[in-house]
Amino acid sequence: MSVVFENVHYTYPSGVEALVGVSVEFASGEVVALMGENGSGKTTLLKHMNGLLKPTRGRVVVEGLETSRASVAQLSQKVGLVFQNAEDMFFESTVYDEVAFALKNFGFSEAKTRRRVEWALRFFDLEQYVSHSPFLLSGGEKKRLAMAIILAWSPSIICLDEPTIGQDSLQKERMMHMIKMLNLQGKTIILASHDVEFVAELNPRVVLLSKGRIIADGMCEEILTDLPKLEKASLIPPQVVLVLKRLEDLGVDHRVLDVEQAAKNIAKVLTV
Amino acid sequence: MKIIEVRDLSFTYAGGAKPALSHVSLDVEEGEFVLVVGPSGGGKSTLCRCLNGLIPHFYDGEYSGKVVVDGLEVDRTPTYVLSQHVGMVFQNPQNQLFSLSVESDVAFPLENLGLPREEIRERVDEALSIMNIEHLRDRSPFELSGGQQQRVAIASILAMRPRIIVMDEPTSCLDPLSAVNLFNSIDEIRRKLGLTIILVEHRVDLAAARASKLVVVSDGQIVYAGKPRDFFERHNPHAYGVAFPRVAKLSLMMQRMHNDWDGVSLSPEEFVDEVRKHVGRF
Amino acid sequence: MSLFEGLRFRPGNSFIHKLDPRIKLVTSLMILLTAVVYLDVIVISTLLLIEAGLIFVAKVHGLWSRTLRGSIPLASLVFLITFISQYSREPVLPTAVGYSLAYSFRLVVFLSSFSLFFLTTTPDEIALTLQKLRMPYEYTFAFVSAIRFTPVMAEELRAVMDAQRARGLELDKGPFTKRVRNMIPILVPLLVNVLRRSYELAEAMEVKCFGASKKRTSLRVLSVKHRDLLFLAAATALFAVALSLKMTGLEPLRLSPLLGKYFPV
Repeated sequence: MSVVFENVHYTYPSGVEALVGVSVEFASGEVVALMGENGSGKTTLLKHMNGLLKPTRGRVVVEGLETSRASVAQLSQKVGLVFQNAEDMFFESTVYDEVAFALKNFGFSEAKTRRRVEWALRFFDLEQYVSHSPFLLSGGEKKRLAMAIILAWSPSIICLDEPTIGQDSLQKERMMHMIKMLNLQGKTIILASHDVEFVAELNPRVVLLSKGRIIADGMCEEILTDLPKLEKASLIPPQVVLVLKRLEDLGVDHRVLDVEQAAKNIAKVLTV
Repeated sequence: MKIIEVRDLSFTYAGGAKPALSHVSLDVEEGEFVLVVGPSGGGKSTLCRCLNGLIPHFYDGEYSGKVVVDGLEVDRTPTYVLSQHVGMVFQNPQNQLFSLSVESDVAFPLENLGLPREEIRERVDEALSIMNIEHLRDRSPFELSGGQQQRVAIASILAMRPRIIVMDEPTSCLDPLSAVNLFNSIDEIRRKLGLTIILVEHRVDLAAARASKLVVVSDGQIVYAGKPRDFFERHNPHAYGVAFPRVAKLSLMMQRMHNDWDGVSLSPEEFVDEVRKHVGRF
Repeated sequence: MSLFEGLRFRPGNSFIHKLDPRIKLVTSLMILLTAVVYLDVIVISTLLLIEAGLIFVAKVHGLWSRTLRGSIPLASLVFLITFISQYSREPVLPTAVGYSLAYSFRLVVFLSSFSLFFLTTTPDEIALTLQKLRMPYEYTFAFVSAIRFTPVMAEELRAVMDAQRARGLELDKGPFTKRVRNMIPILVPLLVNVLRRSYELAEAMEVKCFGASKKRTSLRVLSVKHRDLLFLAAATALFAVALSLKMTGLEPLRLSPLLGKYFPV
């Protein structure tokens, strides 16, 4: 198992109980979506993976390393965490330096740094900006740079906190493509999201969180069609599921996520 | 009655390489609910700012064309006058609230205008009541949830009694349930107060069904302005950076299978109604 | 910094909270001035007791005691300096101790004299007070904004630190020069954030007619009630007594020959 959460409790210094008895495992190479409303514990859970937060009770083990015994720097080499407002962390004068920063911190050689920076910028279509100031990039480019920065040192586990917030459909499609490509390269991807339609299309394993507790864990189609659980997690079900549920009396099965399949099912009952 | 008239509007930000808006024209009737969509960086926010006077009064640049809002020529009217006709709500709730209590924040614009205390009291109470946030009167904005903060921001704008409200991605920072609640509130105040709403949003699936007009802004130009349903029927939204609501896709698929399927649905409710019309007919 | 805990507002419903902030401001000033004029330990102790009494009525003693604790380092420094200078002048141990105690004690009263005002007055009321004192609105607004956005900026700081630590930045390691350089990845994004936020705030201010009218009105008012006047009268009377005693040379310390030997006047 790549990541193990064993009965993890976390209470913020302000007294807010953000995680209550969370036990979950992520296997190497999995794609998992953590879903729930704002404040359900998704971001808190992600921050436990690179040691930014240490459990107040229980333990987290990442690739054999117990997080309470390791530093954030150590854990970050294995776990790359892309924050929601990642574009707000730029400070260097060139895009190259921005990406190289983390590599220097992790002790990569000059030559290796150069190779990795060039690779990361190419992967995210940013090579032409290598000597530009990161502050002059457009919104979408900044988001891609934030991802390039994390991927440069090739962590085996990638955590994304709400990667589709405020994005238009083209940007979301790009993000979907990137996630799939990274997964093909063997990376474990854990994303926190409340974008049900995006997750429905990605079709990962889904873990539902509500008020710091895991209330469901399973395959995408199973979880995103479970209306009572989605309601408990304060999530709006995918439109297709809402439609099919309301047509239940006609004998339509609502446990479908695929639009084409749903259309066929509806057509079937209409010709009866 | 036309409440907004945009004629051949062009604007390039000072120091900008290319125009943010290029020869844009648009008409909005009183009481309409206009949904503005399009790819990021395409000009939606710029258009919003041209409607309430931030462009050209707050932003420098090359401005040409004419914008008339509620009978006022925007480039010739000071912003404090325009704000009493066109209110604006921004994306980040945190950066629109200045005071240490909700009541102070709602009173803020009225105090700035130098209105007499009694009138401020009356308008503040009214605004808090319309937005259903009277119980938050003495709370500090920092402690509120994103959805509550946006309600306070809207209340503060309503206090100025504008006839038009422009909202630039107001639910960006909110989760879907809070977003839906906010859209419901916005629709409610539109109906109650007879407001004209201009809403910029990416979350088409949550907002499109209520809109009476869809405007697609891409690359500084208006590439579509008309009925929302027609847009999804005739164009590929994805090509314009616009999200394709699943029910709309579903409708189109049903249309392909049955010729007399009427129109494109933009909400689950609409689609379900349409299905029930066809029960036992095929 | 626990010293600053004494400046944070604590909501409450006590008599002190309900007093007009201007009255509290004047009272705090009178306490400060009395402490300036006197070095007499009896007077200083009385001041501290009066303050403590008012603080207890307001039920904000928790925070106030933190201010007192926070002022211990500074007070100890004053004690040490006074002790050394006094002892070198007159090597009589009890006198040196007496002098040092007097000076450091007075410092504590200085530092906590305005606690009463800040602990029981909302920032909004402070802003209103400043306005009444004819401070231009721009400055009052800046003051309130600073208070309003402090917790927001604190959160931003945490977020930036988290983001940079996730890129391998280690803030608590290395020689001093490295640690100073490590502040750049924290300070630059924070500064950029502040600038961007200021721009967005300016837009919102423009849209909310900031500066539209020269004669700005306000929803809330400060009004002086009977209890405010009574309180003020009592405080002024005490202040007058204290001043007149000093001016006629009748400092309480002189009444006690024993204490007068060791403590300064």
